[in-house]
Amino acid sequence: MNDLGALILYGGALVLGVVALARRDASFRRGLRRALEQSINLLPRMIFALIAAGFIVKLIPTEVIVGYLGAESGFKGILIGSLTGLIVPSGPAVAFAIAAAFALEGASVPALVSFLTGWSVFAAHRVLIFEIPLLGAHFVRLRMLSVTALPIIAGTAAMLITSF
Amino acid sequence: MSSDTSAEREGWLELLSKSFGRSFWLFVAVAAATAGICYAVLGPDAFASVVERNGDLMADLLPRVAAAQVVAGFVWVLLPRDRMSQFMKNNRGKRGLVLATLAGSVTPGGPASAFPLLAILAGTGADRGILVAYITSWALLGIQRIIVWDIPLMGIDFSMLRLLIGLPLPIIAGMVARRLPFSVTLEISPPPEGGPR
Repeated sequence: MNDLGALILYGGALVLGVVALARRDASFRRGLRRALEQSINLLPRMIFALIAAGFIVKLIPTEVIVGYLGAESGFKGILIGSLTGLIVPSGPAVAFAIAAAFALEGASVPALVSFLTGWSVFAAHRVLIFEIPLLGAHFVRLRMLSVTALPIIAGTAAMLITSF
Repeated sequence: MSSDTSAEREGWLELLSKSFGRSFWLFVAVAAATAGICYAVLGPDAFASVVERNGDLMADLLPRVAAAQVVAGFVWVLLPRDRMSQFMKNNRGKRGLVLATLAGSVTPGGPASAFPLLAILAGTGADRGILVAYITSWALLGIQRIIVWDIPLMGIDFSMLRLLIGLPLPIIAGMVARRLPFSVTLEISPPPEGGPR
């Protein structure tokens, strides 16, 4: 995944750079300048957000949480799954590894769906590292409120579908 | 000419003071606090393993973020933003939300590429519903992530169930975003030297 993603990014940068140069106007210089501006805006906060996320992941008590996600957990499992998704500030490698571990320990399908949905829409590291610096706190508040119900909706839908 | 360069220097200084502003120090404080808690609760070995993992992660991520910013910078300059704005204005209804959901799910790469694209989308005047639907779809239904992580780790049955359930969710989020009753000021920094918006 890392290789594919990196390939697309570096390849994209190269291709777009050539296109910008071919225009023979200020496009190339202005593009690089915007990149520099946005990097200055982003990187200082990003580095410390990454550091914090690494420590938070280590502090999450996954063994305790999985006890609340079992087949009998029902709607409570959906709620706790959603909330757990909220506190995993890390990329897909860690989030899916945690989900797979939960599944092995007997977490129910609706709880897992809630967990992955909650993580997808809330992932705190993305908010801290990218969203606040690039779009601002106002947008984050709007988006958070817009997606709050999604993990619950997803878990409930999974519960209805799997109960057939 | 000299007034131009001094205005430019002021622009860069303003940018620097913003990127090292209050929220930067908040991030530093949170990082220090979590590091301290980790050391105190889990001990020096766990602490060292996180430090090492953080180092690896940054070595992996920082070049990619730099490349993503270069891509976003070029896209910003090359994209016919006037025409994009017109397109966005013409797709304010449900169709816009569906298109945003499709676009989000096929956007490749991690947050380093998706969020700069979202910022560009915001710069074209896309409405808040489209912005929320796009990034929610990327997060929930990103095809690349489903292929690379979801299917191998969770199995095809579970992944397809989650995909099926997830399909309407970005549209729901976009509709909610359009109805939330507060104003949103976006923090999109305008391009330098007063080029086309």
